[in-house]
Amino acid sequence: MSHNDLRQEFRRQAEAVSAVVTPVADPAEAFARAARLTAEQGGACLAAPGWEADELASLKAACEREGLELITQGLRERAGEFHTGLTRAQWGVAETGTIVVNSASEELRLASMLSEVHVALLTAANLRADLFALEQELNSTLADAPGYLAFISGPSRTGDIELVLTLGAHGPRQLHILLLEEGS
Amino acid sequence: MSRASRREYHQRLKGALDNRFLGQTLARFQGNYRGSREAGFSGMDFPALAAEVGAAKDAAVGQLEELYQQFKAKAEAAGATVHLAHDAAHAREIIAGIAARTGSRRIVKSKSMTSEEIHLNRHLEAQGLQVTETDLGEWIIQLRGEGPSHMVAPAIHLSRSQVAELFTQVTGQEQDPEDIAALVEVARGRLRQAMLEADMGISGANFALASTGSIATVTNEGNARLVTTLPRVHVALVGLEKLVPDLNTALKILRLLPRSATGQLISTYVTWVTGAVECAAAGGRKDLHIVFLDNGRLALSQDPVFSQALRCVRCGSCANVCPIFGKVGGHNYGHVYIGAIGLILTYFYHGLEAAQELVNNCLNCQACKVNCPADIDLPALIKKTAGLVMAEQGRPLKNQLLRRVMTNRPLFHFLLRRAYLAQKPLAGDGRKIRHLPLFFAPDQEFRSLPVVAAEPLRDRWSRLVPPVAEPRLKVALFGGCLVDFVYPEQGEALLELIDGQNIQVDYARDQSCCGLPAAMASEEETAREVARQNLAALNAEHHDYVLTLCASCASHLKNYPKLLAGDPGWAGRAEHLAAKVIDLASFLQKEVGLEPTAAQGKAVAYHAPCHLCRGLGVHEAPKELLRDAGYDYRPYDDEEVCCGFGGSYSLDFPELSAAILERKLGQVAATGADTLVTDCPGCVLQLEGGLDHLGSPIKVRHLAQALAETKKGSEP
Repeated sequence: MSHNDLRQEFRRQAEAVSAVVTPVADPAEAFARAARLTAEQGGACLAAPGWEADELASLKAACEREGLELITQGLRERAGEFHTGLTRAQWGVAETGTIVVNSASEELRLASMLSEVHVALLTAANLRADLFALEQELNSTLADAPGYLAFISGPSRTGDIELVLTLGAHGPRQLHILLLEEGS
Repeated sequence: MSRASRREYHQRLKGALDNRFLGQTLARFQGNYRGSREAGFSGMDFPALAAEVGAAKDAAVGQLEELYQQFKAKAEAAGATVHLAHDAAHAREIIAGIAARTGSRRIVKSKSMTSEEIHLNRHLEAQGLQVTETDLGEWIIQLRGEGPSHMVAPAIHLSRSQVAELFTQVTGQEQDPEDIAALVEVARGRLRQAMLEADMGISGANFALASTGSIATVTNEGNARLVTTLPRVHVALVGLEKLVPDLNTALKILRLLPRSATGQLISTYVTWVTGAVECAAAGGRKDLHIVFLDNGRLALSQDPVFSQALRCVRCGSCANVCPIFGKVGGHNYGHVYIGAIGLILTYFYHGLEAAQELVNNCLNCQACKVNCPADIDLPALIKKTAGLVMAEQGRPLKNQLLRRVMTNRPLFHFLLRRAYLAQKPLAGDGRKIRHLPLFFAPDQEFRSLPVVAAEPLRDRWSRLVPPVAEPRLKVALFGGCLVDFVYPEQGEALLELIDGQNIQVDYARDQSCCGLPAAMASEEETAREVARQNLAALNAEHHDYVLTLCASCASHLKNYPKLLAGDPGWAGRAEHLAAKVIDLASFLQKEVGLEPTAAQGKAVAYHAPCHLCRGLGVHEAPKELLRDAGYDYRPYDDEEVCCGFGGSYSLDFPELSAAILERKLGQVAATGADTLVTDCPGCVLQLEGGLDHLGSPIKVRHLAQALAETKKGSEP
C-alpha cells in the first residue's frame, strides 16, 4: 500500500468509528488545534503528560493564548477537571483506523481515560496497513515490562441499551487524531 | 430426565415466547447482526481464517500447562503474582483472600464471563465487600439481581423503558426512556465515582500471552481500562484456555473476534497489561494478581472430542445466529454461558442438573457452526454432550425403541407400512392429519401432518423406471424415509426431470433410513450400524453419483466418513460414498442442463434447507434453476433460517418449532408468492403443515416438483 493509500484508508476507517482525523504540518499547529478545540468546547484545562520540554513550551504558549490551564502531572487528583487529554500515539493502523498508544505512564493513561476529549498526535510515517505489519514493534513494546499498551479505535461507546450506539460510555466522548506529516 | 424439570423448562420457554418485547428485541438484534457481520467480513475468506484460528487454538489447548508455566515466569518477573485455582470455590477463596490481605473493601469489576461462571459477586458480597459492575449492561443486570442473557450484550433482554424505570429508582429522579444518551450518562457519572473510590479492580482477559506474561482485554466502553488503572489492586480472573503462546496467535483471534461479536472491525479498546504497572494509589506499583481458573478445563483439554470446546473465544456469535436464542433469549438458552457453546459448557462447568434440559434444545441447523470464528463443530458437540447426559441418566425408552427399530430395516419398513393403516381414521380428506389425539403428541396442533403413502416409492420403482440400455450416467438414488414412504411423488418428479436424458437411476431396496435421527438422538452406535447397511446397499462404487432429494440425508451421508472413521472395514467405502453424494439442484445444473423456460410469471419464494445451504454449501443453484424455469423468484430476509423442523426436535419442542415456523411463514407470505419451494422433504412436511394449519393458499413444492411442473407446462 502506498503512503497515500495508507493515509486515506486510515482516515476512512478512523472516521467510520467516529474519530476525527485532521492533518497538521508541525507540532506547533497540533498544539494550537488542541488548545483551540478545548476552548471552543468550553473546557478550562488541558492535561498533557509525557511531552518534551521544548514541546511543552510551545503547548504552554498555545494554552495561554486560549486562556487554558495546562497540567502535566497529578491527574488523579484533578479527575473531572481537565477537559482534554493530549498524548502522542506511536503508530496508526489503516485497516481498522486504530491508534496504538504506549500507556505505561499512569499519567498518560489518565489523560486518555478521564478526559472528555482525547487528542492524539500521530506521525503519518508511523502508519501501517494492519496489526500484523506492526508485530515486531508490538512485541518489543510488550517485552518492555512492566507495561501498558492500548489499541484505541474511536471514542468510548456502548450498545448495551437496546443496541442503540451511544458514544462516551466511560472514556472520552471524542477522539481527535492529529496526523503529522513531517517535513511538509 | 425428570418430568418435573422438563415441565418447568417448557414453562419457562412458553413464558419467553409470550413476552412480545423480548421477541421483537431479539429479532431486531439478530437482523442487525446479520448485516453488520456480513459487512465486517466482506472481502475476507472467513472459513479459511476460522480454520486457522481453530488450529492455533488447538495447538495452545494441547499445551496449557506449559503455557501456564511460561506465562507465570514472565508475569512474575514483571512484578505480578500468578495463581492457579483448581475450581470455582478455590478461585473465590483466592480472590477473597487477596481482598482481605490488601484491606480492599470497595471493588469495581469490568465484564468477565469467568467471574459469572464462579458466581464471584455473591461470594464477595457475602464477605461484606461492596462490588460494583462497571460495564453498563452488567451494571443494569446487577441492579436487577439477574444474570447476563448474552455473553457480549448482557442486558439485551431489557427494553429502554425497563432501564429508565430502574435508573429512576437508582437516582430518585425521573428518567426519560427515549433519551438513551441520558441513561448512559447516569451510568457514566455513578460508575466513574465508584471507580475513583475503589480499592480493587477485577477484570477478565481475552488473551494471556505466554511469551510476555501480558493479559489483554477487548472492550468498547473503556471501563476495563479504568478498572485496571484507578484502584491500587488489580485482580484478573482468566480461564486457562485464554492462554496463547504469542502475540501472533492473539492477533489472528483478534482479527475475527470483534467482527464475529458485533461486526466491528475491532473493538474500541484493546488493552495489554504486562506486570505491575505504575499506580500512584498503590504508592508506586500496582498490586497485580492474575488468577487462572481450571474448573475442569485441563481435563477437557485432554479429551479427544470435547477439547474443541476450549477453542471458544466468547464472541457470542453462536447465540446471535441461533433461531432458538432469537425466540427465547439467553436466560432460557444457557446457564451462565449462553448459546450453542453454553449448551456444551454448562454440562462441564455447572453439571448435569443445569444441563439436562438445555442440552436437548438444538435444531442442528448448523447456523452456529458456519459462523464460529474458531471453527467449532458446535451441533456435533451438543449431540455428544447430550449423549453424556443420557449415559448418566439412563437411556429413555424412546431411545431403546429407536435403536431396536432402526437397526432392523425390515421391521422399520414394516412399521411404516402399518402406519398407513393406523392413520386412516385420522386423515380427514385423505391427504392430511389435522388433529392428532392429544395424548399421542401434545402441542402438535400448529401444523397438520402428511399421511403415509399407500404405496411407497420403492414399490412403484420397477413400474416407473424403464431400463436404460447404454446409460451415460449411473445414479444411485437415496430416497430417505420421507420421500420413500410419505412423498413418493417427489421421486416421481425427479424421474420426469431426467426423462430422455439417458441416465440410469437405481433404487436399492435394501437402503434404509440415513441414520440422522439416530445421531440426533445421540444414538451413535445405531447411526453407525445403519450407515454400514446403507453403504452395503447403495454400492456407490458402481455409480457416478449418489443422488438424494433430501438435504438432511445428503449431509448425513456426507458425514459417514466421520462417523465410521475408526472402522477399518467401512471407512474407505464411506469416503467413496461421501465423494459421490450430490443434491438435486447441483446434479441438475451439472449433468442435466434443463432448457430455460420463458417467464410464466408464477411467483415463488424459496426456503433454503439448513443441511443444503450450510451442510453442503449450496446456496444459489436452486434459485438459479427456478429463475431459469421461468418462475418469478421472490427473496426474503430469513430465506436461509431454519424452518423449525429439526426432525424429532419439532416433537420435543413444539412450542419453539411453531414459533420459528411462524416467523418464516410470515416473511414468505409478505413476498406475495403463490408457491414456496424447497428441496428437503422434512422442510416440506413442516412448511406445508404450517401453511395448511393457517389455511393459507400458498402451496409447497419440492424443487423437483416445481421444475417438473414447468417442464410439463412447456411441452407442446
